[in-house]
Amino acid sequence: MSARELVLSYEQNRWRACGAGVDVTHAELAGLEALISAELATEHDAIDVHVRFDMAVLPRWLHQYHDHYLNYVLHLPPQRAAS
Amino acid sequence: MSTNRRWTSGMFATEDWWSLWIGLAIFAASLLSLAGIDLVGWMVRPRPWEWTDVAGGFAFSKLFGAAGATYSAWHPLVAWITTYVVFTALFAVGAHFQKLDVRRFVLGFTVLFVVTWAAWIAGNELHLTMVDATIDGRNRYRDAALAWGLQLGEGAPYLLALFAGLAIGNLAKGFALRLAEAAKPEWYIKTAIVFLGVNLGAQTMQASGFALELILTGAAATFVAYLFFWPIVYALARRVFGLQRDVSAVLASGISVCGVSAAIATAGAIRAKPVIPVTVSMLVVVFAMLELIVLPGAYTAFFPDQPIVNGAALGMTVKTDGADAAAGALLDELMIARNLQLTGEQWQAGWILSASILTKIWIDVFIGVWAFLLAILWINKVEKRTGAVSISPMEIWFRFPKFVIGYFLAWLGYLAIANGWPENAATLAAGTAVVQSPMRTMLFMLTFVAMGTITDFAKLKGMGKLALLYAIALVVVIAPIAYAVAYLFHRGLAPPIAVL
Repeated sequence: MSARELVLSYEQNRWRACGAGVDVTHAELAGLEALISAELATEHDAIDVHVRFDMAVLPRWLHQYHDHYLNYVLHLPPQRAAS
Repeated sequence: MSTNRRWTSGMFATEDWWSLWIGLAIFAASLLSLAGIDLVGWMVRPRPWEWTDVAGGFAFSKLFGAAGATYSAWHPLVAWITTYVVFTALFAVGAHFQKLDVRRFVLGFTVLFVVTWAAWIAGNELHLTMVDATIDGRNRYRDAALAWGLQLGEGAPYLLALFAGLAIGNLAKGFALRLAEAAKPEWYIKTAIVFLGVNLGAQTMQASGFALELILTGAAATFVAYLFFWPIVYALARRVFGLQRDVSAVLASGISVCGVSAAIATAGAIRAKPVIPVTVSMLVVVFAMLELIVLPGAYTAFFPDQPIVNGAALGMTVKTDGADAAAGALLDELMIARNLQLTGEQWQAGWILSASILTKIWIDVFIGVWAFLLAILWINKVEKRTGAVSISPMEIWFRFPKFVIGYFLAWLGYLAIANGWPENAATLAAGTAVVQSPMRTMLFMLTFVAMGTITDFAKLKGMGKLALLYAIALVVVIAPIAYAVAYLFHRGLAPPIAVL
């Protein structure tokens, strides 16, 4: 099991994930996660991708109300096991 | 970039944490009074005045002066400038660590501070505040020979501050934009709420049973907000208005739980596109302002004999901490003035406000738990991605409102000192009085002005369907149920009578 960390943002109606050599965008989060999986998943190892949302995406005036959007872990199984 | 990684993330980078630091720092400074050192008495406090008296012989000392006896010899302007410098410096330090533009922040804060004080001083004119009531055989209104009077009590400065802010936000939008860096009503109100923890400590010493009852019954509001309001509003959004699941969930949280904070937390939990909470938040801010304008006056007019019911009902109805606390403060003052008119008895200030705040704080506290549970439900049942995506319980902490820690630390700290060293209780009460009253009130006033400047009623344009849903949910679901629940718990309760 290994881990990667990506920063999630939302620009021009598209989700974007950056980090660990990855820079992908997609209109839907599920689609973005499929792209991340295609980039990071390996044949033998399960990988945990720690996705952290960049609060700078939200307008600054909103931060005073709530300064956290979401963090989550995307679990990528080994491709061999997945297939 | 601001992403939470460790439990300590954001301790010096968010308004929430900085309200805790500033609030507790000033409380700690006031505690030096126990050692005979007055570090907060320079705080300036407005005085009641009458315009013909001031016009006849102007003196700043007729309008305001230092609150602490140690500083009573100071010229009022020196005390006012000291107040400005200390609070500007404290908030500017916070702004620096939050990576705000400190120059713009200081300029904006200065304008808000001046408007706040203009409203506060003007609002203390006797024609606005003095209540026609006989107290202990004496009627000061008649003694002052006023030809007319609005009899608003201490609610008058709040109303002036609110209208001044709204005038800037709606009639001088370009100017309001230039103040945006410092227009942080949530930061100011959260700091004021930490000060209110000191006040709750003093209240608990005076009437512990009453204070504890407010604290415990406030918790009941949590169940009403999360388990009652939310499903009803969500169903209304889905079935009557045909909104999508994610929009309905975010809107239901914004309308029925705790406003903008809940909208953002819910949107994050269900992994909604950020545009949804942004839109809902704009709606919440405008409606919260409407609630703030309408509800305190309406409750005072229609239910003048149910002060604590009114306070608790506000806590469940008015969204966002700033609007709820502001509405609670306004209600507190209007109800006290009205009761004085009707009965000649003056309730102690702050209890109605505490009923409002304590109800709201409990709702705030559980937003992290709510969002966490919603996230699990969404991932497993709606997105059906069990095993592919997981959420850490640390999300609950990241969403926890940190100023609440400051509020309870101030409350428990006050109680620990007052009970641990009862011989010092009177010194403690006197030493922290400046924090409890003029400092707390000034931050409330700043909140009123700042809220007004960020509220642009024109933003309601183009939100027809969402605005209609919000209005229906508020009038038909939230307000009546909140009032019924508050009535169930608090009917007949009234604040203790003030010793004048």
